[in-house]
Amino acid sequence: MTQPTLTTNRLILRPITAADIPHEQAFHQTDRAEFVGGPMHPADVWRYIATQIGHWTLRGYGTFAVEEKDTGIFCGHVGPWYPADWPEPEISWTIMEAAEGRGIAHEAALATRNWAYDTLGWTTAISMIDPANTRSIALAERLGARHDGTFDHHRYGTMHIWRHPSPAEVRDAP
Amino acid sequence: MMTQLETERLTLRRPNHLDVDAVTAFYATDRSQYVGGPVDASDAWRKLATFAGHWDLRGYGLFAIVPKGETAAIGLAGPWHPINWPETEIGWHIWSTDHEGKGFAREAALATRTHAHQVLGWTNIVSYIAPGNDRSIALAKRLGAVQDHDAPVPTPHDASTCLVFRHPMGAA
Repeated sequence: MTQPTLTTNRLILRPITAADIPHEQAFHQTDRAEFVGGPMHPADVWRYIATQIGHWTLRGYGTFAVEEKDTGIFCGHVGPWYPADWPEPEISWTIMEAAEGRGIAHEAALATRNWAYDTLGWTTAISMIDPANTRSIALAERLGARHDGTFDHHRYGTMHIWRHPSPAEVRDAP
Repeated sequence: MMTQLETERLTLRRPNHLDVDAVTAFYATDRSQYVGGPVDASDAWRKLATFAGHWDLRGYGLFAIVPKGETAAIGLAGPWHPINWPETEIGWHIWSTDHEGKGFAREAALATRTHAHQVLGWTNIVSYIAPGNDRSIALAKRLGAVQDHDAPVPTPHDASTCLVFRHPMGAA
């Protein structure tokens, strides 16, 4: 499918492009990447981004590049993610340092969750989070998700499953 | 972006979700040993996603090889240029022994090499082949490629794990 572009108050959610890769490579040189596969060689980051984009071809949906409207800053990639080794489809987020602490991940995750519910017709959504990733857990809680079991991944180890409010619960929320 | 090619016996198209089962079966066997396998089903899925995403990043990529009259692909062939490749490559994989020995890889490699040369404008084409992959080495030679002992190899390989065959230009 042609990848859509979504907009929120502050953000443009658009297809990931080759121009985003240097930002992802810089991110993956740092310890900040420890919860999303770890520090990674730039050549592997290039393939990892190809995998993110190719997910759209295989599933018909995938993650979006997050760009701040006012500054044009690349903030990371966020959205539906369901590789073959995941127990069920998730809403994922990987946020660059420049976008930290301003609610950008929350705004992007919310928009892509709504898109998954309204456009893809998802009836439920999870996020898989490393139990030591306190920042991501805080965001999951802020999104109304609840801890709902664990999943033993063959490479990433034990991950916690956080289950988001259902489409009905989101609709009925104040 | 040209995403489909036709040869006498083959349709060459972008890899997609229809190829998951065949790719998974291939990467479960030792046949994949020269192209990063064997790997389990989940990693095979991610490899296919990577092949698909290469198209978006580069505007070209490996084509899925589909014999005319059939719907399922039998392998991949075509332009491949991940960021750590020193030069632009034409690669090929035939997924099952059932489809070997029929010249499909040759037909697909020739068509995609011509496409790379004439449409993508490539002036430099190599194939990176693991030592011991005798079928691929034989095909490279049949395609007129000549081993280049001095060419750089993709990191983290060296000459003991990767041979470079350089394709003729102009004859394409």
